[in-house]
Amino acid sequence: MSVDDKAKRQVDLRGLICPEPVLRTKKLLDDASIESVEAIVDGEVNVNNLNRLARSLKMQFASESKDDNFVVTIERKESAAAAGSVASASSHSHVDPANMKASTTAQSEVGNVVFLGKDKFGDGDPEFSTTLLNMFLQTMFESGQRPRALLMANTGVRLMAPDSPALKVLNDFKEAGCDVLACGLCVEFYGLKGKIPVEQITNMFAICEYIFAADKVISP
Amino acid sequence: MNEERQTASKLLTANVKAGGCAAKIGAAELAQILTNLPLATSPDLLTGMEHFEDAAVYRISEEVAIIQTIDFFPPVVDDPYLYGMISAANALSDVYAMGGTPILALNVLCFPTCDFPIDVVRDVLRGGATQVQAAGAILAGGHSIQSHEPIYGLSVTGVVHPSKILTNGGAKAGDGIVICKPLGTGVALLGMKANLISKNADDVLLKSLTTLNNKALEIALKYSPNAATDVTGFGLIGHVHEMAKASGLSAQISVNRVPLLPEVYELADQGFVPAGAYGNRNSYEQFTTYINDVDLAMMDLLFDPQTSGGLLFSIPFEKSEQLVKELLASDIQAACIGNFRAGTSGIVEVASDERG
Repeated sequence: MSVDDKAKRQVDLRGLICPEPVLRTKKLLDDASIESVEAIVDGEVNVNNLNRLARSLKMQFASESKDDNFVVTIERKESAAAAGSVASASSHSHVDPANMKASTTAQSEVGNVVFLGKDKFGDGDPEFSTTLLNMFLQTMFESGQRPRALLMANTGVRLMAPDSPALKVLNDFKEAGCDVLACGLCVEFYGLKGKIPVEQITNMFAICEYIFAADKVISP
Repeated sequence: MNEERQTASKLLTANVKAGGCAAKIGAAELAQILTNLPLATSPDLLTGMEHFEDAAVYRISEEVAIIQTIDFFPPVVDDPYLYGMISAANALSDVYAMGGTPILALNVLCFPTCDFPIDVVRDVLRGGATQVQAAGAILAGGHSIQSHEPIYGLSVTGVVHPSKILTNGGAKAGDGIVICKPLGTGVALLGMKANLISKNADDVLLKSLTTLNNKALEIALKYSPNAATDVTGFGLIGHVHEMAKASGLSAQISVNRVPLLPEVYELADQGFVPAGAYGNRNSYEQFTTYINDVDLAMMDLLFDPQTSGGLLFSIPFEKSEQLVKELLASDIQAACIGNFRAGTSGIVEVASDERG
């Protein structure tokens, strides 16, 4: 940072007790001459609180983790993210699950929903059938299909296991703004609890809502 | 409160990371800690640990069961007298939440007496004693030790007729859910710490935090509630979930009807959200279904850990309107915020009608 560039502030807020980090950032941004604040914080709570601050000020927010800390940047710029749009929120490296949930209930927007009730594509040789399903997901992504949601139930939840070859493409869908969700009961049943991000775990109510609100439900 | 004491004890909350019920160990972590704990059972132990009840209840005769509870936390405000009052109100509330009457209380005190003038700790205890007295109970002693961080609370014994205990379980499908204090103490306390709330909001907050739940219980008992708890560390959703689960029902909450403390909506919107609210979200989001868009600030408030929160009653729906009326007439900011219904056990549906 050039020392004379007063419009861009860098602050180290590590070690401060809540609400100090969000309060100090707010005070900086209350000064209209400051264009952006780059804050180093420890702990995800601070990242989430600063994300909310940016939203309410309608400023652009970005965060990345650095070693054990997080670097949060808030810029005085009108942005779609500030308005709470899902797509831009998910382009940031850190996504507060609350944002997703807040603006993506099944009824708010209609589209297609992909329901994956097993980790296979059709019936046949198990390993081959799993490979086919990965190809299907890959092809779907590459051909530009962006369903409203990809819902996984029963053995389908295995697609989201850390060692699943399909995990990468599922994350690509998520990054692209699709809701990628696994049935919580199934996650527990197949022993994957703790291995799938908690914000991607849902329940039968939400699955029902997605399915019945969808234009089309695709189940390969 | 006088100026001098305020300055003397300016630092009471200074080094406290999570004050009040925000200091509570999370539900998920607690469940892990408690597994494999050898537990004795007895037919006279009427509530155990299985449903996260507010207190233990033990029958000592056909006519009398005793309620035993303990609650304490680090300072939530800098005024020691008010801190004592708040912590005591919070501890006494567990007895009311079980439908009982407190009879006896003991102080629990951990204090770095070298860091503060003696008046400070004296005032904390005085605040607590005032509340015990107002509750009609007897403060009979206590235990105190030196510690790095101040902690104060009470162990309270209460009594209740064994057939009149109110637990988390017992809610019936169709019951209305009545809350008896406005929500948002966790967020408001952060706002207070940040010096961002108005004098009026500050007054309302302190009044709510120091108000005993005895009056609300006394009124509600006239309407034969089916179940009760108080809204504390697990937040509104957490406690509604525990009630629903213990009763084998699902619940629906209409967010627009939830009474809020002044200015907490704006504070939550700007990111003044305590860590405990995120923890509660992690623990309870899997049981929460959003019927339509609920905005983020409101959701944060539904998960906000409450200190000295209000009682929550499950009461036949046709009686709930009259109950709320009578509570309001007694200056208790109550509201019917939803209902219990037949459905997947423990699921909490959150719905919002369009705002204003």
